[in-house]
Amino acid sequence: MKKSSFLAISLLLIMSMATAQEFSLDEILAKHSKALGYENLQKVSTVTMTGTLIQADAMPVKITRMRPDKFVMEFDIQDITAWQAYDGKIAWFTAPYTGNPKPQIMPEDRTKEMKTRADFEGVLMNWKAKGHTVELVGKDTVENSPAYKLKITKNDGGVEFLFIDEGSFLISKRLYNRISRGKEVPMENYFRDYRAVQGIMFSFTQDTHFGGQPYNSLQLDSIELNNPVDEKIFQMP
Amino acid sequence: MKYLVISCISVLVLLSSQAGSAQEVLQWSGADRSGVFQETGLLKSWPAEGPALLWESADIGNGYGSPVITRKNIFINGEIDTVSYLFALDLSGKFIWKSKIGKEWTLSYPGSRTTPTIVDDLIYVTAGWGQLACLETQTGKERWSVNMMSDFHGAVPRFGFSESVIVEGNTVFCSPGSADTNVVALDRFTGKINWISKGAGEMTSYCSPMIIRLPQRNILVTFSKSTMLGIDTKDGKLLWSYKQEGQDVDCQCNTPLFENGIIYCVAGNGNGAFKIKLSEDGTQITEVWKNGLCDNLMGGFIKKNNYIYTSGYEKRQYYVVETNAGTIVDSVRFDRGTTNMADGMLYLYNEKGQVGLFKPDGPKMEQISSFKVTKGTKAHYAHPVICGGVMYIRHGKALLAYKITK
Repeated sequence: MKKSSFLAISLLLIMSMATAQEFSLDEILAKHSKALGYENLQKVSTVTMTGTLIQADAMPVKITRMRPDKFVMEFDIQDITAWQAYDGKIAWFTAPYTGNPKPQIMPEDRTKEMKTRADFEGVLMNWKAKGHTVELVGKDTVENSPAYKLKITKNDGGVEFLFIDEGSFLISKRLYNRISRGKEVPMENYFRDYRAVQGIMFSFTQDTHFGGQPYNSLQLDSIELNNPVDEKIFQMP
Repeated sequence: MKYLVISCISVLVLLSSQAGSAQEVLQWSGADRSGVFQETGLLKSWPAEGPALLWESADIGNGYGSPVITRKNIFINGEIDTVSYLFALDLSGKFIWKSKIGKEWTLSYPGSRTTPTIVDDLIYVTAGWGQLACLETQTGKERWSVNMMSDFHGAVPRFGFSESVIVEGNTVFCSPGSADTNVVALDRFTGKINWISKGAGEMTSYCSPMIIRLPQRNILVTFSKSTMLGIDTKDGKLLWSYKQEGQDVDCQCNTPLFENGIIYCVAGNGNGAFKIKLSEDGTQITEVWKNGLCDNLMGGFIKKNNYIYTSGYEKRQYYVVETNAGTIVDSVRFDRGTTNMADGMLYLYNEKGQVGLFKPDGPKMEQISSFKVTKGTKAHYAHPVICGGVMYIRHGKALLAYKITK
């Protein structure tokens, strides 16, 4: 009896030590890289995503990404097709629903946002080589799930926080500020419904809150890898 | 011999009416515009990938209008390069002819937005900038046309003219929506004006009207910007009106329903679901209840027994409303969209492109099957049509025909 009690207590202690184990930043990033399937991502040159963007209406959306930093999103507002894109240098958009169908260059703060969004592998991969700074600033909870909170100071000076889920080691939330009418307003992206596509984990549902209120929801139906893509689609017409 | 002749005639009449109801959909939302299609023998569940796609016509132009179906043809309108065309197809989806109607809506939510109406060998169709045309179904040749803006001083609403016109007897009704020429009755053979009603003097909305038939009179029921109107079809006299409350209320898209002396509707931009009692002679109305939480904007609703089945708008889910008190008794997550019924089952087509087959079970609705429409373009707004065992779904430029019988 004495022996079995000792064993049980030891086991509980080991288990509690394991759950309370603190990882270093490098360890968290290594686990994140493995959970994401980074090894497989390195074999991918293009990603094509299709689905629905729900922002008042539910409208079709298509996102195309290309290494190392090209991004274009084709989406509908009021059922009129608009584009947001980054070609590696210039971020541009169209807003035909405003009555102006001509492509326009994005303002500086939105260009920075698009540059981050266009990073094919994400800001965490090879962050040192990209000139970013990443710090582990503590733990937090994202919708009741514990998460590691990382502060990223990007090479352009912009700051954002990424939350790595403690269980899956996938990104569960991104937090940054967007300038709106002269004020900084928090933008929160919640990444849900991760599924594996050819050994790489993709979030199929991304819900965005703006100023604490639900803003839009990107719900993907399909993600295809290595489709042939013409680079011209990223360039401003 | 006399009995034999009567019997034969009765059988012929019966056969003819059955064939007509089951194999033709000649106007918006079914024979009585209730959203119910008179079909039998349909599948009670679908395979996981959905019912078989019989064919696809991928070039009918942009739009949200539903098709109408005769025993030989399908008619549907669409926008190509700013022009509204009416297309005639055979029942296998092959093009027969197309006719220009007028300038189509190209601003917000661009594309055709109405369903044609067929009476005998003539077809009536409206384009987004107010052109109303009457064409021959056989050839597409125009018999006459009017423009609600230039001919009747109409004012274009913010999403374009969207009324699927209704015909009664020799009259076709349309809603230009100007202060003095609000609702107009035209001779359906010539396009000449029978009468003009001032209605409530408001801009038109997006409602496709229905007609209440009483012993004393027939009543055209439609909406202008924020008011439901009851207009005597004989002379255009406004019998009654029912105001929708709220600010900036201007989207009245759903067709009301009349049943046993009661008018039901769901006005998503106004009073929500409501029930009003019509006097026996049709000249007065009394509100029974309204429920602003049930706020379907343009997906229609189905009433079966004591329940209304419809989707919400602000909350992307479907509702069941009990019709005695107007209480929401159930909600089901299936995004938001259209509601139709055939052979006792509900057909839901939501804005994410999912088509759901639901069983209405009093205060509950049970999802049986669903599939996603993957072909076509743009928003999933068009109401499905079920006719002759086929479910027709328009998704932008594509018309898709699914076999829903065994």
